[in-house]
Amino acid sequence: MNGRMNNRRRQGLGVLIYFLPLLVFLLSLLIGTVRIPVKDLLKTLASPLFPSLKQSLPANALIIIFSVRIPRLLLGLAVGASLSVSGASLQALFKNPLVNEFILGISSGAAFGASLSLVFLGRSFPPQISAFVFAIAAMVIVLAIGRKSDSPTIALLLTGVIVSAFFSALLSLIEFFASPYALQALFYWLMGNLWRASWGDLAVSLPLMAAGILILILMRWRMNVLSMTDEEAKTLGINIRKEKLLVILMTAGITAAATAVAGIIGWVGLIIPHLVRMMVGVDNRKVIPMSAALGASFLMIADNITRSIASFEVPVGIFTSLIGIPFFIVLLKRSKKVWL
Amino acid sequence: MKKYTKKILSMTATGLVAASFCNLRPARLAGQDQRTITDSLSRTLTVPAKVGRVLSLQSEITRLIVALGAADNLVGIDYFLRTNDRLFRIVYPDQARLPLTSMADYNVNMETLTRLNPDIIFGAPEDRQVCESLQAKIKIPVIALASTGRFDRLLEELKLLGDILNRKERAAELAAYFKEIIAGIQNIVLEEPGAKKPRVYLTFYGALNRTPVFYEPVNAAGGINLAQNLAPASLGVDKTVVDVEQIIKWNPDFILIHGNYPPRERIVTVENVLRDPRLAAVAAVKNKKVFYTFGFWNWWDMGQVLVESLYLAKLFYPDKFAGVQIDKEGNKIFKKIYGIDSLYSSLCKFLRCDEWTHE
Repeated sequence: MNGRMNNRRRQGLGVLIYFLPLLVFLLSLLIGTVRIPVKDLLKTLASPLFPSLKQSLPANALIIIFSVRIPRLLLGLAVGASLSVSGASLQALFKNPLVNEFILGISSGAAFGASLSLVFLGRSFPPQISAFVFAIAAMVIVLAIGRKSDSPTIALLLTGVIVSAFFSALLSLIEFFASPYALQALFYWLMGNLWRASWGDLAVSLPLMAAGILILILMRWRMNVLSMTDEEAKTLGINIRKEKLLVILMTAGITAAATAVAGIIGWVGLIIPHLVRMMVGVDNRKVIPMSAALGASFLMIADNITRSIASFEVPVGIFTSLIGIPFFIVLLKRSKKVWL
Repeated sequence: MKKYTKKILSMTATGLVAASFCNLRPARLAGQDQRTITDSLSRTLTVPAKVGRVLSLQSEITRLIVALGAADNLVGIDYFLRTNDRLFRIVYPDQARLPLTSMADYNVNMETLTRLNPDIIFGAPEDRQVCESLQAKIKIPVIALASTGRFDRLLEELKLLGDILNRKERAAELAAYFKEIIAGIQNIVLEEPGAKKPRVYLTFYGALNRTPVFYEPVNAAGGINLAQNLAPASLGVDKTVVDVEQIIKWNPDFILIHGNYPPRERIVTVENVLRDPRLAAVAAVKNKKVFYTFGFWNWWDMGQVLVESLYLAKLFYPDKFAGVQIDKEGNKIFKKIYGIDSLYSSLCKFLRCDEWTHE
């Protein structure tokens, strides 16, 4: 009886989590410095279809909804989902619950790319592009070195640490020579922000993130196999090398795309998959898509809080780290086993 | 051979021990005439009544020392002024001969600092820990001073420096000149007390939504800094980050972009702001009232503060200041402060001021 109740509760929770991003997205449209009542919000949303409604809208409602809030929420949704799915997939792949989305040197590569752009290349080469290029470069270096080993899983992790350290050293070198004004811009970029969200950035990054997330969700059942030992996985007829490479490429790609537009937003890929596993168990068929939904909702909520709690805005990357660390400690204390 | 090695090692060890004892010198002020002062961190410090050797790690103070005619007291120069401040190279060419006291990462070179043996050191209040640990280590008073966007603090600094460096007359002369220029601007802009003041949003520090919470040139020029005293100003913080929606809500008449560094290093540009769809409805963007401005340049320069105030007054009230030629007035102001001709023209050449306005 209790088991059936628990199953029902889990199913209910699952449905709620899948609908949560839509709910949070719609409610978040009402949150912001400029107050837009529900009635006006609905009129604003309908106005592209019914242009006559535009005349009765409050001043700037169209710009605030369509140029500020929707791009920012979409970016939060996509970045949150990307980082969570990336973290969940890599934790399954490396059979290690402490692996995060930045383990393959992606954040260090992106940070170095952004610093190169902000300090030396100027506006001719925007930080978003430079960050993406170097995040991918970091991943390619990790794969090129790590794959040649006899035990590629451990080798990839170690190479990720080494490449991360290498790019961090390069970043320090750039910081050493940067002018104080370039440094200010760089530190701010590195903090992780969603305020820069624009349709232009979304047009490039959103399809990349959406495609990567979709592929990883489609691979969710294979993640269960990949989280077994290699011998067990081989007996099930899986081409482990190929599957692992695909997972790594996709996770690196979506993390790079997310980091390039939003900077470094830490802890999402660690907290969310753990939270999902606490709620629905270790089955990656549920963990991967639910991580996407919960991660998207989490980052949108976190961003709502950082921009509306005070008259000033706190970079969301600082906020996720501030709440992520104690939250993770509580999670670890409450959990009696390690899920994988 | 072994014998010699032992000797060399023991001599080296003795030398090192002796050297370390030399560093543990007693407080320098014992037996000297002293005075007490209060710095920007509200710390009461005891400094020698007669100061000869001065070390400044804070660019604003170094500039004021040069303006006071006490450049000969300087025993070192910080990394920023040596490498990044083109104007200062013209203002005080002899800085090239002074030893460098900080490194590229702005950390202090302790060895050089100890060797230079200054009577006092000036530091930045935001580096409280550096100031306090320096003072504890080398037993030299480290005075933390900065104006952080406020005129009263700039004038207090000037007075304090005049007292410490025995340049009271020059300090009083510069303070009077400063007040005279500001009063001259305010007399014109405040001609109509009830008139609507332009509302200004400042985008500084390399990001659209980062803004100073204190920036008095805007007030002096008859404008209103929309972020004035915005939290967390109450914590003593001099800048904040605002939501883009807040900028739209404020609907500023002017948007001023920090332009006081090489054009290729500017992250926020006039073109970016004018093209940003989020700001399309803002009055400043609609009316193309988006301009570069001088702003801080590793703290302030007294000359730039005055030129900035005049430049902003002309931007805000073009009719009232139609007869003012910023280039001519700017050179006059810098000449008064540093005694050098065409300084403003040199600065503008570097900053490409000719690209600053759209009118």
